Amino acid sequence: MITAIAWKNVWRNKTRSLIVIVAVTIGVFAGIFSMAAINSSVVQRIDAAVNEELAHIQVNNKDFRSSSDIQNIISDYQEVVSALKSTPGVTNVTGRIIIRGIASTATKSSGVEITGIDVEKEKEMFTLSKKLIPGTGSFFETDTKFNTAFIGEKLAKELNIIRYIITPETMASLKEEGIPSEVVSKIEVLQGQRFISDKKFVKAFEKLLTPNEAQKYGWKIREAAWSYREGSKIILSFLDINDNQTGSAFRVSGIFRTNNDMFESLSLFVPIDEMRQLTGMEDGTFHRVIARLENNNITNSVTPIIREKLPDYEVLNWKEIQPDLAMITDFINQIYAVFMVLILAALAFGIVNTMLMAVLERTRELGMLMAIGMNRRKIFIMIMLESIFLSIVGGFAGIAVSEVVIAITGKTGINLMKYSEGMEAMGYSAHLFPTIDAQFFITTTILIVLTGIVSAIYPARKALKLNPVEALRSE
Amino acid sequence: MAVVEINNVFKSYHDTEVEVKAINGVTLSFEKGDFAVIVGPSGSGKTTLLNLVGGLDQPTGGEILIAGHRLSELKPSELIDFRMDHVGFVFQSYNLIPVLTAAENIGFIMNLQKWPKEKRMARTNELLSSVGLADRHKSRPSQLSGGQQQRIAVARALATHPEFILADEPTANLDSKSAESLLDIMEKLNHEEGMTFIFSTHDVRVMKRAHRVITLEDGKVVSDDIRE
Repeated sequence: MITAIAWKNVWRNKTRSLIVIVAVTIGVFAGIFSMAAINSSVVQRIDAAVNEELAHIQVNNKDFRSSSDIQNIISDYQEVVSALKSTPGVTNVTGRIIIRGIASTATKSSGVEITGIDVEKEKEMFTLSKKLIPGTGSFFETDTKFNTAFIGEKLAKELNIIRYIITPETMASLKEEGIPSEVVSKIEVLQGQRFISDKKFVKAFEKLLTPNEAQKYGWKIREAAWSYREGSKIILSFLDINDNQTGSAFRVSGIFRTNNDMFESLSLFVPIDEMRQLTGMEDGTFHRVIARLENNNITNSVTPIIREKLPDYEVLNWKEIQPDLAMITDFINQIYAVFMVLILAALAFGIVNTMLMAVLERTRELGMLMAIGMNRRKIFIMIMLESIFLSIVGGFAGIAVSEVVIAITGKTGINLMKYSEGMEAMGYSAHLFPTIDAQFFITTTILIVLTGIVSAIYPARKALKLNPVEALRSE
Repeated sequence: MAVVEINNVFKSYHDTEVEVKAINGVTLSFEKGDFAVIVGPSGSGKTTLLNLVGGLDQPTGGEILIAGHRLSELKPSELIDFRMDHVGFVFQSYNLIPVLTAAENIGFIMNLQKWPKEKRMARTNELLSSVGLADRHKSRPSQLSGGQQQRIAVARALATHPEFILADEPTANLDSKSAESLLDIMEKLNHEEGMTFIFSTHDVRVMKRAHRVITLEDGKVVSDDIRE
């Protein structure tokens, strides 16, 4: 009965209760959604790092990382592979040849890390092949007599392989995409000009469009004007196994796009056989053996087992290779704590205020309840329940709104292209797909209920201090 | 045996430096089935005396016994339970719980006493019929007239068969028709169930129906007329 009365009391002053509930809803939604967006960014970054760049475990010759010398090889590859494969949790293993070199075109050159890969194995183990930009070729599927390389978009831009050109076809495709004709006609003056960098092209069309138009349609204009000549040629120069300068011309097999500018501008992949031929490295020798695990969570437990099995090698997991990624997970938890403390503090003040008003307004009624035999414990519980209901309704509404918005934006994504340059430079995607663990909702719900309880203590104590005779006399 | 015994009770307040004697040596007793009114001018101590008898306030001297229990010996928490079990209250401004229906208001104390649902429902229906509001059991207080609300308040006070009912100016906010109707009900309950009613009032209509009229002045009993 106390519960029913408390629930009904919440709705006595609908406007006031709704204001508190809406405030709680907005607060909880803001907290959860911001966390989901930040979390998605981190999850995407970790997934990308593990699936495209690092793998879960790397085994290197002990001197390889410090010197990057081509001669620091893993000679007993099979032994390493069997040690890895016999470890529970390891799902797949492959070897790589890694050499530092220079990639150049007729106009530009850039330092790169050339990775020789087993194409089929890499396709099985990593998602890099899926990062191919449509229309730029394939992941080593073209049958050609030339050496081939799979390179990042950033490197392609640095080597002037990619340009931005507005052609009559570009104009037509923009119109087809539903971009207003007045916007398309504004950029018509750029037709025929070649822009060798993204920055220069963006500057050029931003001068012609309003800031709103540039923000709304800029990404589509960039996509449409993006131009690449398939099979472009680059020269790769590096040292062979005998430390002699060598190199060769490579055709670009395809261009990949990730959210990590650094990785895109430094990494270049070629089939391992081509690398062996050019470097003179023997069959069965590698610089690095990489392994994938069943999931990220077992990384810490599997690493020491492998380390024990391969004492002569340097065994590192992705967290050790990029400690910033591991750190950021802890950092996220701290941000969550700060966010929630701020939101819950605001929520607590709102509830305390509302409940104090409710107690003051109902002084005579509370006096009557005490007079007719409702003991103080029940009155205390009733006030507490009212506060808890207020916070729970608002909290659940906030959680429900968050779930819906996260479900929608988790599919459609949130486009932060305006900030893409900065975000991608740090390895984070500018297209966020908010996601959050169920555990987060549970924790949030518990915190909201606790806030409701804590917020009710002061008003409830105020009610308990009422003297029934004086309370009955009050207006 | 007297239902209520008031033995040389005093109640004084300190209004700044001045001591105000609200009740000044009152000795009274009420028997089962009394239909008594306490009258007197404003400030004579009527409501204070009712509060003392109802265990809402503590006397500064003397003692009050209800059904043989000394109120002064009860702890505050025991006093709340004592009120719930032994005293029924009817207030001037009805004081129903606005979020509950008429039936829920009547059942409220039974609920606090954890009566089984069926027994509670039966008693509620019985009382709703007694006060002539069986058809308004689902109405909220805001949907009832003042007279109807006060009848529900009487039914609530009667619900758990208290020793007596204290009614502080129960007709003060009612029009004459509603007041007469309420008094009819109270009189009937007094006759039929032998319920003891102790009123404080200025209302002549209440005084006319009372079997006993106690007049207070300056906290003292100046007359105690028992009518046949």
